[in-house]
Parts: sequence; structure tokens; C-alpha cells
Amino acid sequence: MLGILRTHKARAWLYQGLALAATLGLALSFVLIARQNLLDQGIATGFGFLERSTGWPINFALIEVSDRSPYWRMLTAGLLNTLLVGLLGLASATLVGVAIGLIRISSNLVLNVIGTTYVEIFRNVPLILQAFFWYAILTHLPSPRRAIPLMDIGFLSNRGLVLPALDISAADVFLFAAGTALILYGAARLGGAGTRASRWAWPLALAALAALFVLLLLTGRTPEAPLLTLPELRGLRFVGGFEIKPEFTALLIAITVFGGAYIGEIVRGGFLSVDKGRIEAARALGLKGFQINRFVRIPLALRAMLPALANQYVWLMKATTIGIAIGFPDYFMVVSTSINQSGQTMELMALLMGGFLLVNYGIGFVMNRVNARLAIKDRAG
Amino acid sequence: MAEASLAPPAVDRGPLAWARRRLFSSWLDGLVTLGFGAFVLWVFFEALDWAVLGAVWSLEDKELCAPGGGACWSVIEARGRLILFGLYPFEQHWRSTLACLVIVLTMGLSCVPRFWGVRRLPLLWLAGFGGFMLLMYGGVFGLSVVTTEQWGGLSLTVLIFASVVVIGMPLSVLLALARRSDMPVIRGVAGGIIDVVRSLPLLTILFAAAVVVPFVVPDWAQGDKLVRVILAFAVFFACYQAEIIRAGLQAIPPGQEEAAMALGMKYWRRVIDILLPQAFRSSLPATINQFVITFKETSIVTIIGFFEIMASGNAAVGTGDWAGQFIEVYVFVGAIYFCFVFGLSRYGAYLERRARLGQA
Amino acid sequence: MTRKISSLLCSAALAVGLASPGLADSGETVATIKERGSLLCTGHNGSYLGFAEVDDKGKWTGFDIEFCKALATAILGSPDKLQIIPVSWAQRFPALQSGDIDVIIKVTGWTMSRDTELGLQFSRPYFIGPTNILVRKELEAETSADLEGGVFCINAGTSIERIVADYMGARGIEYEALNFEKGEELRSALYAGRCDALAGFGPFLAATRFNAPNPDDFVIMDEVLALEPESIAARQGDDNFIDVINWMVSALLMAEENGITQANVDEVRANPPSASVERLLGASPGMGERLGLSDDWAYNVIKAVGNYGEIYERTVGEQSAYKLPRGKNHLWLNGGLLYALVLD
Repeated sequence: MLGILRTHKARAWLYQGLALAATLGLALSFVLIARQNLLDQGIATGFGFLERSTGWPINFALIEVSDRSPYWRMLTAGLLNTLLVGLLGLASATLVGVAIGLIRISSNLVLNVIGTTYVEIFRNVPLILQAFFWYAILTHLPSPRRAIPLMDIGFLSNRGLVLPALDISAADVFLFAAGTALILYGAARLGGAGTRASRWAWPLALAALAALFVLLLLTGRTPEAPLLTLPELRGLRFVGGFEIKPEFTALLIAITVFGGAYIGEIVRGGFLSVDKGRIEAARALGLKGFQINRFVRIPLALRAMLPALANQYVWLMKATTIGIAIGFPDYFMVVSTSINQSGQTMELMALLMGGFLLVNYGIGFVMNRVNARLAIKDRAG
Repeated sequence: MAEASLAPPAVDRGPLAWARRRLFSSWLDGLVTLGFGAFVLWVFFEALDWAVLGAVWSLEDKELCAPGGGACWSVIEARGRLILFGLYPFEQHWRSTLACLVIVLTMGLSCVPRFWGVRRLPLLWLAGFGGFMLLMYGGVFGLSVVTTEQWGGLSLTVLIFASVVVIGMPLSVLLALARRSDMPVIRGVAGGIIDVVRSLPLLTILFAAAVVVPFVVPDWAQGDKLVRVILAFAVFFACYQAEIIRAGLQAIPPGQEEAAMALGMKYWRRVIDILLPQAFRSSLPATINQFVITFKETSIVTIIGFFEIMASGNAAVGTGDWAGQFIEVYVFVGAIYFCFVFGLSRYGAYLERRARLGQA
Repeated sequence: MTRKISSLLCSAALAVGLASPGLADSGETVATIKERGSLLCTGHNGSYLGFAEVDDKGKWTGFDIEFCKALATAILGSPDKLQIIPVSWAQRFPALQSGDIDVIIKVTGWTMSRDTELGLQFSRPYFIGPTNILVRKELEAETSADLEGGVFCINAGTSIERIVADYMGARGIEYEALNFEKGEELRSALYAGRCDALAGFGPFLAATRFNAPNPDDFVIMDEVLALEPESIAARQGDDNFIDVINWMVSALLMAEENGITQANVDEVRANPPSASVERLLGASPGMGERLGLSDDWAYNVIKAVGNYGEIYERTVGEQSAYKLPRGKNHLWLNGGLLYALVLD
């Protein structure tokens, strides 16, 4: 009997069996004990409360919600807010990060010092303090009655920025963004295919975009309303127009600046990891400066950066939860408010976990695909 | 032979040439230098004016504190001990101070390469934690018992950080090895745990540990809330750190392990003597970065009712008399965080230099 | 594949585990407290102005804390036999269910879903929380109707959110709600003019005005949006414990009705003016036994924390920084809503 255990394979199976049994056993015991506790106390649980109306509103949402909306709708609005600020934040943090990374490897001393100071400050001060800082700046702008006019069509005040708006709904904007992405992707595929049709790819895409725009404009607007609404001051606030709230802006800036510091370090590391020999080889082959960057340095650096970048994105997405501190109703804030209002702590915590698993697995999935696309194909293998 | 070396070209020397090269190499460069230089100076003087020149320093002058004026540091004099010690009994603050020093000292000692050993490091930390518990909890040598819900302030922050790292490090090595294992079930379980935990906000994990665990484990397995929270935090840390170590392991050419195998080295020998030292060295910057992040994240435990330094800072301004001075308190707490974090990142830089020397 | 299965298993275990709360021994709370020798009561993770604060020496003070002390004294005879467990708002109900604390005294409103679904039982209200509006003077708003279209700053996750929505909705007044988690951020948003008004609980509004760069820029409107009964919550199914809590609150009110204070309680006990006061202070037997406490428990409570009025004035009223008028928290004799139960 013991003799069998000495063989490597048998031992491997034993370990695995034990690990599996332990995992299953643990899960089973959790369920059994929890059920026993439930019986003992007889507390109503489950997700029935999701159908009930919340009784409280939030001030920023991409879908229509009010204090009469049920919990599930409020939670959806929160999740969409998180996605919006998170994805925009990731995009702008990447831009800032690239700039900072390049500044830090430039030869100008002041730029170096500024890059280093930027990274040291914004990486070492907790994100929440940074969010407070940006929010304080935005809320110290003048009040709506003394708003700063922008060419007389927009206004900047401590209530945010109001701009003239096309009379289309947020859902249409979503549709438009999704449609645009689809068209551009199609055009890129077609354009890169190298067939005869490739020449027509971009003109076709432009025409499709225009058609989509007109279509949404025609279907998406309320019939009698004017096409363009201008903001005007009425009472305590601006009526009409498109409003960008300071909470949203402050959170976006904070994520951008904070994420930029971390991504800057990743970018710097990526560029430093490119072997000098390859650059020299490229130069020896007679490639010009921008060609070296385009065909050698950037692709290599990008490959080195991607895994760390994917990590950073997941992490930044989770960092949006500080929205609660500056009044931005992100998913976390909506969940947290729901917990206090309904008292269904466990269920809502599970929903919070589920939401973040969904979003972050989504990011992980996309980044893995990109990574697989860019990875050096090992021809020898 | 040394005498024969040529002097460097003269143009590159002297402050002027240096300035031309690093500050004003082109007119655009010069513009950038002047513009940003002016901005940095302006920020510096504004900060100086608020924090030092226009500030009120002592408790007696509290009446002079005016909103919109300079900093009102009186709040630190009045509430400083609350911020630093939280709910710890006032007469026993010396114990909390000593305990905090013990942990900081242990951390400092374990930064010295001389203590890096499979036997020395665990012994050092055993002594460190033992001393801490003795001082904080008491119950022996005539020290009164102070239960964990009264612990707070800086010593709690430091304790959480230190224990998370000390427990999390070995755990992360195990997870990283399990994820690279050739046994599919082990690999799957480790990978599943790491991926799920990493996608979740830390707060939800800590909340589950503090609040949900009592419902799903039998009474005897619950333990102290602080212990549960530290363990959960350590798992979270380990899942991040495991990926960092895995990256370090992957950077090692497979030939090395194959060579060790050919020499007949057993699995754990290979891991301890060949793989881990190299993996640690190459993942050092990322590891220090993770430490820094973990230190800052300790503030999240306030959401489950622990009085670490962020929470005690909140409590310090949470009274009618001092509610207006929250910026001063945040700056004070922020400065304490900065000291630790900056120390850590400097230490990381030192280690990187040292590792590079070792390789050369 | 294996990875997928195992993560599925993990998530399933998590989901099931999370979806089913319910622990802690209901039934014999008083006996458990006596055996332990201390009462586990709620504090705050930080501070809630006037209700649960920490003084310079790290000791808990405040209106809610005084009630914790009173309950500890009633059961164990001394206000020091009390452990204040800091808990956040989100944590309070699960902490009670799991037995981390014995009782929630944390300005918690008595609502139907909490009462019926969370396995809680509420005491009679010990505080009537009025929701008011603090507004910038320059807006010259007399009533809520003048704030049409304005921005209201409101503490996230509190009942104020619902109260404002109901009140303004019923009157057809449009407004925008801006929610913050913490008092400090709410306050700075109001001072900076990000919001036109701050809706909230009296003590909080008073402290906000008191700490403003210029207090005269702000005014608390007379209008009361709603009254919320704040109650003490315990686990369901322990009638004796709820009895103890109800009679503890009642004893504090009765003491005030009869002019018994911390200072004169010994005197009154030596010469009780009436039979019911004699019973209250344990000068004649029967007061404790029925609750499973000592006969002089109410005497001990008053000796330790004073009567209701004294607690109020000391923590949120005239003697505090907040100077909150008693309003509806007066005894019925003075136009308030509070009254003692009948002690026979």
C-alpha cells in the first residue's frame, strides 16, 4: 500500500484528491451551518427586496431613475455609473501615464524632476485625499447666479459645467457609441484585409456613421422639443442643456491623475526594458527615428507593459469606489446606501461582489485577448 | 595604466554647461523649465503660508483660529493623543507607544540583510509579535487587560500592516507555486482563488470576514474579529503578491530547473535554493510597491469598526469644538502615512541598488 | 475547465454563504450579559456628532452612549461594566444578529422592514429625530417651496434621504439630492455653495451652522420635514430584555417628570414624595424582581447618568456645543412627545 504512494503519479493524485475534498467539504459545511443558523433565527432573506421601491433618488444616472424606482433599477444605474467613470478614467489615465512615462525618460532635468515629483506625490498620497482636493477646487467656483459664461452658450459654476445639448436621450448616446465602435471595427477589418473592397472601407464607414447619426436624431428625440437646447438660469439652477456635474469631474480627474502616476511607471519600465541592442540594430539597418519608434521600440515596450497594465486596470476599476466620499453615486455608493436603507446587508454585499467580478472579469478577458494578439509568435515552437 | 586615461571633454563640466545640457538644451526646453519652475515655487509658497506663516500653533490661542485663515494646529495639541492611540485607555498609552516601537523595530531589523534566514526571520517576528501582544493585551506582570476593540491608532495600523505582510508572504509563495503546479486540480483551485479574490474590492472581503463569517462557521472556529480580518486581508495581499512572484518565477529560464532536476535535487530544495531567490530578486520593485499599497489600504478597516489611525482622525474632528479643523487633521494623518510609505519606497530603492551590485 | 469548475464552486459557496444570515442566541440576553459581566453596546467608527463622540482621552461620550451606560447600570449596577464596540452604520444589524453586540443604540429609526425582516425587535422610541433644513441666508428662502430646483446635500444611506424625497414629492417641489457618506464632506459642500440647503438631523445642522466660516450666513428653517422615532434594537424573541430596555427609558422620563436628578436622588429616596416614586427608586420592594433585576436599579441608573433631561442637555442641549432646543423631545408636560409608562 505504502509502496504505491512512493510513485510520483499516485502521490500527485492523492494530493489533488485531498485538495478537492477539502474545498468541497468546506463549501458544504458553510452551507449546512448557514442553513442551521437561518432556521434558528428565522430571518427573512433572499432577493425579494429588489422589487421594492427605494424611496430615495440619486442625482446622476444614465438611465431614468427616481425615488419610486425599484432597487434593482437603482443598482443597475449605479453599476452603469461605475462603468462610465471607470472606462473613461482608464482611457484618460492611460494617456496621462504615457505622457508621464515619456517625461521621466526624457533628457530635460526639469521635466525629469516634475515627472518624478508627480509620480512620488500622486502615488504616495491616498487616492481619497486626492479626490477631496480636486472636488474642493471644483466646488469653490462661483455660484450659479454668478456663473462664468463661456461664449454665452455654456456656463461654469460650482454646480458644474452646462453646455448646449442635442435633444437626444442617454440611451441614444449609448447606442451611438456602440454603433460607432462597431462601424470602426468593421472598417478596420475591411481596410486591413487587402482586398479590392478595402479602398471603400473608410468612405463606407463615414457614410454609415452619418446615417446612424441622422437616424438616432430622428427617432431619439421628443417630437415637439427643439433640436438644440441652450442652458438658462432659472431660480437656483440652470434649466436645459447638458450638465457635467463636479462630482463626476472630480472623480474622473482623481482616477486619471492617480492612475496616470502608476501607469507612468509601467510605461517607463516598459521602455527601459527594451534591449538597447535592438535599437542599435534598427539604426544600423538604416531605420529613421520615428520608424524605430513605430516598428521596434513601441511594439516591444507595449508587450512588456501589457500584463502589468491589465493588473492596473482592474485595480483602478476597484478604486472608483471612493466616489462615495465625494458624492458620486457609483455602484458602491448605491449598494452601501441600499444596505443602510433596507438592512439586507448580506444579499447586497453578494451583489457588490458579483458586480465587481463581472466588470473585472470583463476587463481581464479583453486584456487577455489583446495580449494574445500582440504576443510574439514563437515560430520555432 | 590609470594615468594614461584621457580627461573627459571640458565642455561637459561646470554648473553652466550642466544647466545648458539639462535645463536649456533648446528654447522649448527653456520655456518648460521656467514655466514649471515658477509653478512649483508658487505652490511651495502658498503651502508654506498656510501651514507655517499664518498658522496658529498652541491650544491657548484657539480663539485666533479663523476659517479661511492659516492652519489651526491647536487641534493636534488637543486631539493628538486620540489620533495616535484611538480608544486605548489614556493612562496606558505608554504601552501602546512601546508596542508600536517594538513592531517598527522588528520591521526595521527584518530590513537588514543579516536577519534574512529561514530560521532567523521567523524567530525575529515571533519575538516581535509576542512583545506586541504582551504590551497591548496585558494580563501578565500586573498589566491590566485591554481587549482588541479598544486597540487603536498608529499601533493598530502598524500591527495590521505587519501581520498582513508576514502572514501573506509565505501564503503568496504557496499560491504562486500551486498555480504553476503540474497537477490540474491544485492549479485550478489556486488559480480560481487568486482570480476571484483579485477582482473583488478589499472592502467586501474584509466585511465578509468581520460580519459574514460568524454565520457560516461553527462558534469554536470564529476567533477574534481582529484575527479574522487580518487573515482575510492577508489572503487578499497574498493573491496579489502571488501573481508578482509568479511573474518572477516565469522570468527564470526553464533550463535552470531542468539542470537542478538532472542533479537530483528534490522539489523543495529546487524551490528554496534555485527558484525563490531569483524570483524574489526580479520581483523586488513590484513587491515593495505592493507593500506601499497595502500600507495605505489598512485604512479600510475603519468600515468594520476598527479604530486605526484614519478612524481615530475622523473621531478627532467628530466633535462640536473641532469639526472645522478637519483639513489640519487630514494633513497630520497624511503626513504619518507619508513617512512610512516614503521610508518603504526609499528602502525599495536601496534594495534594488544592492541587488544590481550583487549581480554585477 | 477545472479552473472554471473550481471558481464556480467557490462562487457558489460564497453566494450560499452570503444569502443566509442568522446566528446568535436569542432568548436569554440578560442572563448572558450578567454572566459576562459587561454589556456590549454600539459605538461608531469615528464619530456621530452629539450622539457618539470620543473625548480627548479616548473615552466615549454622547447621547447614545449615555443610554448604553444607563442600560449597563440597570442590569449590572455600574456604568463602567460596559464595552463600547465601534461599528459602522452598515455593520450594525449583522453585528447584532451574530452576537458581536447585545443591543443597537445608534439613532436607529424604527422601520417596518427592519422590524419584520431583519429579526429585530424595537423598544419604545427614546428620541424623536426631527428633520430640518439649513439654508444659506442669501437665498431668502422662507419655506421649502422657495427652494424649487435647488440642490440638497444629504447624508448618504440615512432616513433623511427618504424623508426629503417623500416630503418634496408630495408637494411637487423639484430638487436635486447630492449625497455624501461623511459629515465633513457634506459640510464643506454646503460652505462652498455646492448645495443650496442641507437637510438633516437637528444636532448635525446646529453643529454645521456653528462651525461655518460665518454662522450668520446660514439659518435653520422652522419647517419640520418629518419626525423619525429612534428606538433601541435587540434580537427578536427576547421579551424580557426588551422589557428591561423599555422600563429603563421610562424610568429616565419618570425621574424627569418627578424632578429627580442625579444631584438630589439620594434625598428623594430618603423622603419619597409619592408611592410611585418610592417604588421607582427601590425604597419599597417589587420594582426589580419583575424584570429580573435588583430593586434599586432605577436609583442606580439615575445616580449614574441623571434623568432624561439631564442627559439631553449635557450631550446635545444647552450645556453642549450644539445648543439644540428640546422641541418634541420635551416631556408632554412641556409640549413634547415623551411620557413615562405607568408604574404600579
